[in-house]
Amino acid sequence: MTPGPLQLATAWATALLLGGCSGAMPVPLPALNRQLEQAGTSREPALADRWMALISGRGGREQVLLLDLQRQLPVPLPGLNRPDAQPLSVAVDDSGDRITVVRQLEGRTELVLYRRSLASLQVIPMVPAGVPHQVSLRADGRELAVQVSRNGLWQVDLIRLP
Amino acid sequence: MALAVGGCDSQIGWLGRRNAGGGGFLDASNRQEPALSGNGQWLASVIERNGRLSLLLQRQPDGQIVPVRHIRGHEPHSSPSLSWNGRYVAALVQQGSQRLPVIEDRASGQLVRIPLPGDRTAVKLSLAPDAQRLALELVQGGQRRVQVFDLSRMLEPDRPADLVERGGGPEPSTQQP
Repeated sequence: MTPGPLQLATAWATALLLGGCSGAMPVPLPALNRQLEQAGTSREPALADRWMALISGRGGREQVLLLDLQRQLPVPLPGLNRPDAQPLSVAVDDSGDRITVVRQLEGRTELVLYRRSLASLQVIPMVPAGVPHQVSLRADGRELAVQVSRNGLWQVDLIRLP
Repeated sequence: MALAVGGCDSQIGWLGRRNAGGGGFLDASNRQEPALSGNGQWLASVIERNGRLSLLLQRQPDGQIVPVRHIRGHEPHSSPSLSWNGRYVAALVQQGSQRLPVIEDRASGQLVRIPLPGDRTAVKLSLAPDAQRLALELVQGGQRRVQVFDLSRMLEPDRPADLVERGGGPEPSTQQP
């Protein structure tokens, strides 16, 4: 049975007390966490300034979600999510404009850059050829680091973006 | 840098790119879970060496390896995340039978442990660039859920104006948000 908000808050409070450290402790954000609880499954969080990008799913279908943490509301991402795409990893820049996503689509895995202000989506090719897996974005959105499978090895590529 | 920028579902070409290997044993090692600092001057990743998954912190762009002292010894490491200037290094480490989120303050040398309720397992984390929030992906009863925490009472902010290179943390005049 899924625990309710009160049970969750109690569990965290107990854990934080049992943590036993002196000084301040992390404070759960109850309204936001309750919203995340109600949204179904959620994974792959990426924080940047007032934004959090993540992969959220319900009924077996997952999509990229961008939350405005100040307003505690999801932000529209027109043209990013497709019913036939499976997102694997996501990152967002400090402005909340640039979102990088590793996704599986039509049997291939690709890295894409989405720009919210333009509603544009561009594929970032892996050179030399490789399969992207996980992505991280610099705060200004001008450089990314991506884990790539290449020649039987996991490697990390750094890519500057326009 | 020459760029070819297209419209929807187009492909970006001619990007400046490089492998973050750093040469030597790194080029022949598995490297996973890259995380850039907010300013891009630090790269954390998890490297597999002698069968152990260990956090690797490198200055960019020269690739110089910098030790992360307090996290060492709690392998396997996973899910590294860095603050803006790389002052804070967050990761999941092994403590007993539990995967525990920790944050190392490289300026003060302190290690902060984030306790979890016993029925939850952390599988992923993200530290906000200013180090004032932490997002945890937790597994409970087979379900994955993200939970977000305010760290503003625990950690000084690490923002673009702050400097950590002197090793003593931000100047008093820059400590306040």
